[in-house]
This record gives sequence, structure tokens and C-alpha cells, in this order.
Amino acid sequence: MHRLIRSLAHVTALIGGAVLVALIAMTTLSIVGRSMNKFLHGDFFETQMTGFSQFLLDLGVGEINGNYELLEAGVAFAIFSFLPVCQFYGAHASVDVFTSALPDRFSRWLIAFWEVVLTSVIILIIWRLYGGLERYLGNGETTLFLQFPVWWAYAASFSAGVVACIVAVYCAFARIGEAVTGTMILPSEHGEH
Amino acid sequence: MSNIELGFWSFPVLLLMVFLRAPIGLAMLLCGFGGWFMAMGGNPTPLLAKLKSETYTTFSSYSLTIIPLFLLMGQFATLSGMSSALFRAAESFVGHRRGGVAMAAVGACAGFGAICGSSLATAATMSKVALPELKRYGYSGGFSTATLAAGGTLGILIPPSVILVIYAILTEQNIAKLFLAAFIPGILAALGYVLTISIYVRLYPDAAGTRPPVPMAERFKALAQTWPVMAIFMMVVGGIYLGWFTPTEAAAIGAAATGLVALVSGSLGWAILKQSLIGTARTTAMIFFIVLGAGFYNGFLALSGVPQFMADWVVGQGLSPWLVLTIILVFYLIFGCLMDSLSMILLTVPIFFPVISAMDFGMSPEHVAIWFGILVLIVVEVGLITPPVGMNLFIINSMDKETPMTDTYKTVMFFVGSDIVRVIILVAFPSITLFLLS
Repeated sequence: MHRLIRSLAHVTALIGGAVLVALIAMTTLSIVGRSMNKFLHGDFFETQMTGFSQFLLDLGVGEINGNYELLEAGVAFAIFSFLPVCQFYGAHASVDVFTSALPDRFSRWLIAFWEVVLTSVIILIIWRLYGGLERYLGNGETTLFLQFPVWWAYAASFSAGVVACIVAVYCAFARIGEAVTGTMILPSEHGEH
Repeated sequence: MSNIELGFWSFPVLLLMVFLRAPIGLAMLLCGFGGWFMAMGGNPTPLLAKLKSETYTTFSSYSLTIIPLFLLMGQFATLSGMSSALFRAAESFVGHRRGGVAMAAVGACAGFGAICGSSLATAATMSKVALPELKRYGYSGGFSTATLAAGGTLGILIPPSVILVIYAILTEQNIAKLFLAAFIPGILAALGYVLTISIYVRLYPDAAGTRPPVPMAERFKALAQTWPVMAIFMMVVGGIYLGWFTPTEAAAIGAAATGLVALVSGSLGWAILKQSLIGTARTTAMIFFIVLGAGFYNGFLALSGVPQFMADWVVGQGLSPWLVLTIILVFYLIFGCLMDSLSMILLTVPIFFPVISAMDFGMSPEHVAIWFGILVLIVVEVGLITPPVGMNLFIINSMDKETPMTDTYKTVMFFVGSDIVRVIILVAFPSITLFLLS
């Protein structure tokens, strides 16, 4: 079970990471295209090499259409798919100066308590995200440039969110288990900043 | 209870949760939810409706997309071998002086900060390269770790900087101008640390060894190796400033270029790539969860009218603006010892910024906003190296098993002193920060 959840969190994060890398490549290409386009519209090409520059421009050298929209939707998906690993490794930032003096047993229960609250909040958030998905599914709204339905982006984010819920529920049980048995089940670290 | 009372009550509740070890983002979310719920007269419908789109809107906000891109760029930078190129170059120039290897480490941190927006990553990466060298030339343990912990804070001072991006979004300032304004204070920080080192080795000559100088030709050869750092920095920060691309685009290009350098250097294998993606994932999710919580909490605070009330109240006291600024900065210094810089900025800037904006410092509002941003950035970063819970100290100390934490604590106070002197100078002479903007 532990290994299954761990792989689930990792694979989801890697899919999100792959999307992030793809978005970086797309944005870079788009900027290169935009600069080339500007260059081809410059004096030299306009007067001396009209045919050649027109040929390239016709090929579609220029900014990638709607790349901002893809970037926004893609990054949202990536962040939702990053939530499970953050949860699994307990990477959320917290302040423990005041609790570090407490007995181990007590702080284990405190951690378990917050993990349960956090899990409930994540489930609430993802449930409402589904509400948003339903709304856009109902009204058929599309994006400005690429005209793809907004609910696609919500659906992608929602599917990653479901994984986050599963991992969060597991972590909540694991932390309770840690508190009851006094052993370590999950890796634990502090959020960096 | 009136909304304004609700707003004031939310502070102690939030602090209590945070001190009871609640994840900071969660504490802010809960206070935000609770506040909205009560301000709406106990009706959950508006809150649930808001939640339908708020999370997605936050995660897909164009100005925030810069954060994962800069984080990935930082991850790639740590793999690119540029940290050791920078250190070798700096070391060949100043390494033969007393304390020179430590100065070189500071210089390399500053250089690395130009392609990495995170303090911890800078401190950790440079330690890998510089700690063994410092040991080899007989630098004492506490001196080495303290130098690297302090040097790490340059990672976030010298642009690009994730914290500045957040500040820019919170206060609706221009990121390019903030990056530009951070440049001179960043250089001053590096010079201040170098000065601190030279004072320290005069006081404790045993803390550092010496070695023979390196021939000039070799120095320049080492310097030439660092060209990718300069090229990427110029492209990212210069490109934003000249308006070639948006900050987000610049971050994407920077990540692509840094990734390429890492790939060419041969250290970016499949397993390592996976590791850096997971690392980016963890930090990104952590940051966005806090940003989400802060969004709800600050939305509630704005609704309650607390920030405006506070600003009016402080102005009504007729205090000197400089006194108010000093109080705020001291507050940050103290709280910085307890809390991480990002959470602190997200929690406090929405309250302090209206107060500062309402005061007359004899400068344009934009200049006050930028100057205040840089000052806040510096004081929260001091928190990373102040005992007892400076994160940088923990990171470096965990990399050097032989040095007791107390040794690091003792020496790092010299660097904290240098930071405080710099803050005083920057407060007294705003024109230093604003010089590049005029």
C-alpha cells in the first residue's frame, strides 16, 4: 500500500513535471518565432528578400497562437499534480519552534490532527473544483484564442486533484497510525522556501 | 461581531494555529474560510461558490506561472556545474589572501544567485563545492558553515528572486523594476560579507589558512568558464528589463537555457532529471498552497477593512514615517527568526504595505513601494541565518557533520551584524536602492 501510494504520487508529479518542461519548450519556441517574425518583417527582408521572408512567414514562423492560454492551463494542471508528493513528503511549511519542546507522543498527535484537517480541506477544494468543472461543462465556455472548452482544463486539473485526495487520505491514516504506534511511516521534512 | 472585529480576532487565531504547528497555508485557509463564513452571516453558499473557481484561478494565474519556472531553473542550475565553475574562478582570484577562499565562496554565491532564485538551493549547492575546499585550506568549521549560510541569502537578494515576484504581485508593482532595484543592494550584501570575512580573520587569524597565488593566465581561464552564468543572467534579467519578453517568458527561457547547460555538462541523466522534477514539484506545491491560503485570508482581511483601518490609525497617530518603518523592519527581524520568509511576506505585506503607502517619505509612491520591497526582502532573509531556526544554518550544518551547531551560531552573528548595518544604510539612503531606476 505504502509503495503503491508513493509511486502514485511520484508518477503524478512526473506527469506534471513533463507538462512543465513541455510548456518551457513551447514558450521558448514561441519567443524565438516571435523574434524571427519581427526580424523577417524588418527593413532588410521587406525590401531585399520579399519572397524568402514571405515563404517563411507563410510557413507560420511567429508566436505560437494561444501560448499564454496553454501555459496557464498547463501550469494549473502541473500544480495540482504536484500536490500529492508535497503531501506524501509532508513538505508543507510549518513553524515548530514552540512544539519541539513538547513530548514526542504529543507532537505526533498534533501532526496527525493537522494532517486530518488538511486532508479535509483538500477534499473540500477538489470537490468545489468539480463544481467549477460542472459549471463550465454546462455553459460551454471556450478560451479566447484557441477556442478549446474551459472545462477541459478543469477536467485535467480535477483528475490530478483526485490523486491528491487519495494520497492525502492515505497520509492522514498513516499519521494517525504513527501517533498510535509511535513509529515512523511517512517520510517527513520541512518545507523549504 | 462587526467585520472589523472579525478581522482583528483572526490574527491571534491564526498565530495560535501556526504556533501549534499547523501547516501555514492551511492555517491561512482556515482563517480565510472562517472569516468569510462569519462575515456572510453564517451562510456557506458564497464561500462554496467562490471556491469553485478560486483554486483554479490562483493556480493558473499568468503572473504566478513564473514561480515553477524559476524553481525548475534553480534545480537545473544546481546540476549545471556552474557552481563549481564560479567558485574556481572566484577562488583563483582571491583564494591566496587571508580568508580568501571564504571570500571566493561568497563571490560564487553571488554569481550563482544570478541564475537561482532560492536561498536554500544556493546555500546547499555552493556548500557541496566550497565546503571541502575550505576544509582543505584549514578554515575552521564554524567559519566555513557560517560563510556559506550567509552567502546563500545572496541567492534570493540578487535577481531573479521568487520572493520578489510574490511581493510584486501582492503590491502590484513592476517585477522588472524590483529586480533592477535589488541589484545594488545584492552587490552591497556580497561586499559586506567579504568585509566581514576580512575583519573576522583579523580577529581570529587561526580560523583561516593561506595558499600561494594562482598565475594570472589561469585566473582568466577560470573566469572564462563562467560565461554561461553571465549569458543567462543577461538574457533573463536584461530581457525582462528591455521588454523583449514578459517575466514569465524570461523564466521559461532561463529554465530552458539552464537545462541545456546542465544537459551539455553531462550531469542531467534520466534519474537526476526525475529527481529535480520531484524536487520542483514539492516546493511548487508547497508555495502555491501558501499562496492559495494567503489569497483567501487576505481577501477576507480586505473585506473586513482591517488594512485600511490600520493605515488610517497609524497615520492618525502622527508618528514619524521613519519610526514606523523602523518598527516594521524590527518586527520582521524578530519574526524572521521563527517563520519562513514566503509565509511572512504573504501574511504581513497586505497589512504593512497600505500603512507604508499612506506615509510621506518624500518619494513617489512607486519608489516607496520598490524601496520598501527590497528592505523587507533583506530583513526576512536575515531570518534565514539567525539562530535558533535559520533554515540556511540547518541546511549547511547538516552537510558538515564535524561542526557543532553552536560554532555556526557564534560565527554567523558577524554576518547578521553586516546585514543589519546594510539595512540601516539602505534605510538612510533610499537613493542607493533606487539609483538604477532613475
